[in-house]
Amino acid sequence: MQDQTLFVPGPARDPRFDVKERWIECANFPPEHPEQTVQFLHRQMNEEIDSLESSARNLSDFPDADWEIRMCLARQCADEARHSRMFRRLFEKRGGRVGQYPVLNFQYRIITRFDSLAGRLAIQNRSFEAGGLDAITAGITQARNDGDFELADLYDAQVADEISHVRFANEWIRKLSEKDPSNLVRIGLAMKLASQAFAEVMGKEGTEGVHYPADRDGRLEAGFTAEEVEITARLQAG
Amino acid sequence: MGLNVKIRGKAVATFRYIHVDMMETLAQWTPSSPEMEAKLMLGEHIWDVAQSADALGKRTRELRMQLHHSEKPADAYVELLADIRKEPGTAQRLASFYEVLLPGLAERYRAYLDQTDTLMDGPTVRIIEQMHAVEARMMSQYRELRGEVPTLGKVDSTWVKALSQRESQIASIVT
Repeated sequence: MQDQTLFVPGPARDPRFDVKERWIECANFPPEHPEQTVQFLHRQMNEEIDSLESSARNLSDFPDADWEIRMCLARQCADEARHSRMFRRLFEKRGGRVGQYPVLNFQYRIITRFDSLAGRLAIQNRSFEAGGLDAITAGITQARNDGDFELADLYDAQVADEISHVRFANEWIRKLSEKDPSNLVRIGLAMKLASQAFAEVMGKEGTEGVHYPADRDGRLEAGFTAEEVEITARLQAG
Repeated sequence: MGLNVKIRGKAVATFRYIHVDMMETLAQWTPSSPEMEAKLMLGEHIWDVAQSADALGKRTRELRMQLHHSEKPADAYVELLADIRKEPGTAQRLASFYEVLLPGLAERYRAYLDQTDTLMDGPTVRIIEQMHAVEARMMSQYRELRGEVPTLGKVDSTWVKALSQRESQIASIVT
């Protein structure tokens, strides 16, 4: 059983979707499985919806936030919706259908649990999406090596957008923390609880052996300092 | 005779209030509407509406108000916006937004353009023309969505008509 204090209820899904709580309950095919790419694209489609829903909640839950950051969040909503469509188009082209595999809504359930915008940005954009930069950049190289240029192009477009999302979060986390230093405490607590929740969802099975080298250029472009990039690179190198 | 700067500013600030409210409504509906295709359309339209609010907010400054100044519309219109936001079903939500609010706004844009001096108030005219085009595209996407997901078109037409009448009976939204 999941520790439900770490999560809020998930977003609404239509009956085509089979929503699970843990990674191990999903279709986790080995890399050489013929359906692995389609399954992965389907999973990513839903992850992008989660990200859209979390950004949308940031707009409706924080009506007094600066207009400038609300514009960034509104743009992120449109970007994540577009990414979801991109993944859907590709997996349907390859024979997949919506709802074919189970999905997880852990992002939304973890992110929207927190009542601080700075905390949510730190989890969603500065952690999940920044981690995504490393994975996607590695994915571009892999897809090109495999001759899958269609997938490489999708990732290429996606990563450019994700860099913008991480960048605005980095900028605004700094501004929000300068304006109200107690945001640093909120961010620290949110990161700690989110990390526990993530571990509950993924389990050892979902994280062991999954390491991507830090995308140094992408992270610098996304507003991390050289020192932060160096620390991430060292941690990810094990 | 056209509208003076103060009256233009109040109209622009009122349109801004409405667009910020619509952005928040679409954002609130996105996680709570189950149908995936509807969510994805709402996500895209959040940004469309936000851009309109942004353009209007910059224009308020040019019309001698604060940057991104909003003015609350007439009470009856505020109540209409609030009631629409509370709709629980996706089909009703979409119908109230795309078949009532947006067409109603299009009429109000037309009324504003008829009243203002299109030369002196050229920048507002441009913004309104752009908003009108964007919102026409949004309505067209909604019609396509209803074709793709027919259950989203299952709305009581009498209810939609009554809501449209309620909207059109609010003579002026500017206070």
